[in-house]
Formats: sequence, structure tokens, C-alpha cells
Amino acid sequence: MSENPFRLVGYKPAEPQAGEPAKPKRSRPPVAASVILGVILVGCLFAELFMNHDPQYLDLTHLSVPPCSSFFFGTDPLGRDVFSMIWYGGRISLLIGFLAAAVSTAVAVVYGSVSACLPRAANDAMMRLSEIVMSIPSILTVIFLQAAIGQSNPFALALVIGATGWMNMAKIVRTEVKRMKDSVYIEAARTMGAGFWYLLIKHLLPGLVSSLMFMVVSNIGAAIGAEATLSFLGIGLPVETVSWGSLLSQADRALMTGNWWLIVIPGLFLIATLVCITDLGNYIRKENNRKCSNL
Amino acid sequence: MKRTILTVSKKLLQAVLALFLLSLAVFYMSRLAPGDPLRSYYGESAERMNSVERAAAMEKLGLDQPIYIQYGRWIADAAQGDFGISFQYKQPVSQVISNTCFNTVLLGGGGYLLTFLLALALGIFCALREDSLADRMICKVGTVLHCIPSFWAALILILLFSVLLKWLPSGGAYPIGSPNDLFGRLRHLILPLAVLVLSHLWYYAYLIRNKLLEELKQDYVLLCRTKGLSRRVILWKHCVRNIMPFFISLAAVSVPHILGGTYIAEKVFSYPGLGSLCFESAKYHDYNMLLVLTLLTGAVVILANFSAQFLNDRIDPRMRQTKRGFFH
Repeated sequence: MSENPFRLVGYKPAEPQAGEPAKPKRSRPPVAASVILGVILVGCLFAELFMNHDPQYLDLTHLSVPPCSSFFFGTDPLGRDVFSMIWYGGRISLLIGFLAAAVSTAVAVVYGSVSACLPRAANDAMMRLSEIVMSIPSILTVIFLQAAIGQSNPFALALVIGATGWMNMAKIVRTEVKRMKDSVYIEAARTMGAGFWYLLIKHLLPGLVSSLMFMVVSNIGAAIGAEATLSFLGIGLPVETVSWGSLLSQADRALMTGNWWLIVIPGLFLIATLVCITDLGNYIRKENNRKCSNL
Repeated sequence: MKRTILTVSKKLLQAVLALFLLSLAVFYMSRLAPGDPLRSYYGESAERMNSVERAAAMEKLGLDQPIYIQYGRWIADAAQGDFGISFQYKQPVSQVISNTCFNTVLLGGGGYLLTFLLALALGIFCALREDSLADRMICKVGTVLHCIPSFWAALILILLFSVLLKWLPSGGAYPIGSPNDLFGRLRHLILPLAVLVLSHLWYYAYLIRNKLLEELKQDYVLLCRTKGLSRRVILWKHCVRNIMPFFISLAAVSVPHILGGTYIAEKVFSYPGLGSLCFESAKYHDYNMLLVLTLLTGAVVILANFSAQFLNDRIDPRMRQTKRGFFH
């Protein structure tokens, strides 16, 4: 019956494989989020091109005007145009977001890899230290540092926010560097006399990118939110420095007078940005985990 | 038993060491900070002092000594329960704090319990309906809710419920003049609690959902089903019980987050509590107060981690740190 006369008794041909094991579903790229984020970014960068009022001009004849055809988003109690302020102030908010994320990433990478390369006792001590820092609510640390620095310009604020957000990342860096530091290529570089910083930048950093990307992106979002919160609470940027946070810091009084546009519109911009950044971050995380998933 | 005492005392020692380091760091930083502490004690008149008066005032408050001597003095007093006076309130710090502590415990503790109970419920709900419409909807809405800064959520809630509908008070902890009015207190708690829960709920619910999903895909669940156990029994007796150590560690790790959220909510709702005190003391350079508040917060967090480890030991024997070998 069988086509092969030399078939062994009891031999069963291997079942044909049911195709390749199904590849994990590739998550859809966040098109909408990227587009919205892109619009906000470009809009903030080139705000001058379409702002119809000077964001810093105090127009005393138009105080607290509700949204209308001249002032698209109304004006604040100082007579500034909210529409122009949102685009113009977005620069500061986004700048703080990026700077703070850069600061915390830098601290985390250096701290994490130094601690991973040290002997065990020092390594443990450094991790305990970061846990102590982590045990204080970050809002308290920020209040504290901000009181200590005593200045409220965007750079100081970015530094403070960045200085309070590195601990989780440092933990990841430590684990990753510990895994990498005994690899052959590191050993090879070290036999050729590479120093710590050279190794860090040339060999360790590229290996860290994929596992850190998600955290960096979500740190940007967190820093933008932190700036808004701090400015709202009166310990961030002053009202004169236009940013989303300082714009929202007038919301407290707007509540009493019923100027809803001062609360809702900047808030919606802020949230749209944060949601898009989160979406992007989640996509990056899923893409990085795709290979490892066993499901 | 002996081993338990040994580990507990070791952990306690670590906690004390951590608190000591924390106090040292905070003390140094606060003393090195710019800003005039005399201003918070004497108010406007601090600026009119001449140099002799200033020196006398500094000496009276003990600010003329080198920092390490100030610290030594502070810690010696603190060991006896005297944490110094608040420059701003001119009262012992411990008294000011104990006056408002209860409000924070009420708000923070209530928010904490509510957040985690709801997160567990929501996590289980979503995990049982993975990828269904309800699950996907809740995931989307939750992500957006999680992105909303809590102060903005608070503003919107105030705008809706206090300004427009006039249903709930917009601030304070109790109706003016009647601090013992229980119903009034509850009414004042609703909005801050809602903000606290809304802004933290999804983050934890999502983590619990994912952990439970992992658990539901384990082999032992299949075994239980072949044994004929009902879905409910498998879920509650096995899966939920198995994620409990994760849940408890998560709850412990999140204490600083929730406390931070409580402080922000307190500030937005001008709710008299530790958070409002923190902001005030930072603003007026009230060092003694800020120091004690930071330490208190740190102590709560360390205590939470400590008790989580203890609880996990009880629930899950595998978590117990043991020096004995595998087969004993």
C-alpha cells in the first residue's frame, strides 16, 4: 500500500509541522498617538508662525475673556491669550520633560553600571541607598530640593524632577549590566585596556537602549506631568514663565470665578500629550518584549 | 522562633539605620539651603533686625553652631521625643503634627484601602474577560485616567460637584466650627478620596490583571479543571491566593506613591493634613517641621515594607529566608 517498500515496521512519519509556531502578534504601531504628538511638537516649535497674539502681552482691555473668534481659547485674568500661551508654553513643558528624562537617564545609567561593576558589598550598599531615596514620596523630595535650590527656572526644575526619578531605572541598568559585564566582548575590550567610561559608552550603553527605551519615554511623560503639578502647587515655575503648568496654576482662582476655559483647555492639551506618550511607550515595551514571549 | 527574632531584629536594625541616614541627609540639605529660617519664626520683623539682634536670635534658635553640632543636638533631643519647635507655629513640632495627623491617616489610609480593594476587584474582573469588549474598554479608559494629573482631576471634580452642582464642599476636612460632625467629615472626604482612587487605581489594577492572567495560564489550573473544580473555586482558592504575595509586595511598594498622592490631594482640597503642612513648611523654610515630616513619611514606608515581608513569610513558605539546605 505504502509508496515506500522499505518502510520500517512501527515507523510513523513525523506529523507535518503545523506551520511555524505562530509568531506573536505584532502590536499595531500607534499611528494616532504619533500624529497627535507630532502636531503638538511641531506646533510648539513653530508657535510664532500661527500665534495670533503675543503670549506675554498683558492686554488689560481683555481680561478673562471667554473663548471667541479673536481669542480662540479666551484670555487669562492677566489679559494674555490662552491659545498663544498654550503653543508657546508647550516649549517649556516639553523642554522640561526631555531635560528631566535626560538627567534621570544619565544618573541611572552611571549609578546602575557603577554599582554593577563594584564588589558585592558596595553594590548592595548602593542599592540600599537608592531604596532609601525611593522610600520618600517623590513629591516630598521635589519640594525639598526645590526649597533647597531656591530658584524656579525651567532648568533648575528639570534638574530637580530628573534627580528624583532615576531609581527604578538604575535597578534595571544594574541587572542588565550585571548580565553583560562578563560577556566576551567586554572582556576583549578590557584586555585591550578600555577604561570604565569607554566601556560604558561604547559597549554597555548600546546594550541598554532596548530595555531602557520604554522607561525613558515614560519618564518624559512623568516629568511633563510633574512640572504641571509642581507649578500648579506653587513650587514650580512662576506665572510669568509661560508653560502648561504655570498656565494651570491660575486654575485655582479660575475655579472661584468660573473661568472654565482656563482649567479645561490647557488640561486637555496636557492630557493629550501624556496619553500619546504613554501609548508610544507601551508600544515600545511590547515591541521589545515580543521576542521573549512564550505565549 | 529564635531565628524569627534574629531576622526581625536584623530588619529593625536596617530600618533604624535607614532612618538615621535619611535624617542626616535631610538635616544637612535643609541647613545648607538658602532662605532665611528667621523669617519663618519672626515673620516680617526678621528683615528689620540689626546684626546684633540677628545674632541673638540665631543663638536662641541654635542656628549659630556648625551643622554637625546642631545635628548632634537635634538627634539627642529627638531620642527623648523632643523634635524641636516649629519655627512657623511656635509650637513643638510633635504637637502640630499630632493635631493634623489624624486627617491624613483618614484620607491616606482610606484611599489606600479603597484603591487596593478596587484594584484587586477590577484586576480579577478584567483577567476573567481577557480581550473581551469590556476588558479592552476598561484598559483604554484606565490608561487615559492614569495619565490625568491628579490635581487636574481634582479641579474638574470641584468644578463639577462644588461649583456647578453644589453637592459637595470643595475643601477643608469638616464643616467650619464642628470638627466632630461625622457626616460632615465624610462629605468632605468624598472628593479627595475619589481623586486619590481615580489617579492610582488603574496602574495597580493593570498590574494585578496581568499577573493573574499569567497565573490562569499555568498548568495547575488545567489539573484543577480536570479534577472537576468549579471556575470560582479555582480562581479564589488557587489563583488569587497564589498572586497574594505579589499583591502584598505591590501594596507595600506603592505606599510612597499613595502618600505622595495624598499630599497633593490635601493641597488641592486645602485639607488640613501632613501634606498641607509639608508644602507650608517648605515654603517658609520651617526646617524642623520638614525634617520630621520627611522622617515620618520614610518611617511609614519602611514599616510598610517590613510588614509586607512578614506577611509574605506567613502566606508563602517559599518566601521565607532560610539558611537550611533544600532538603531539610
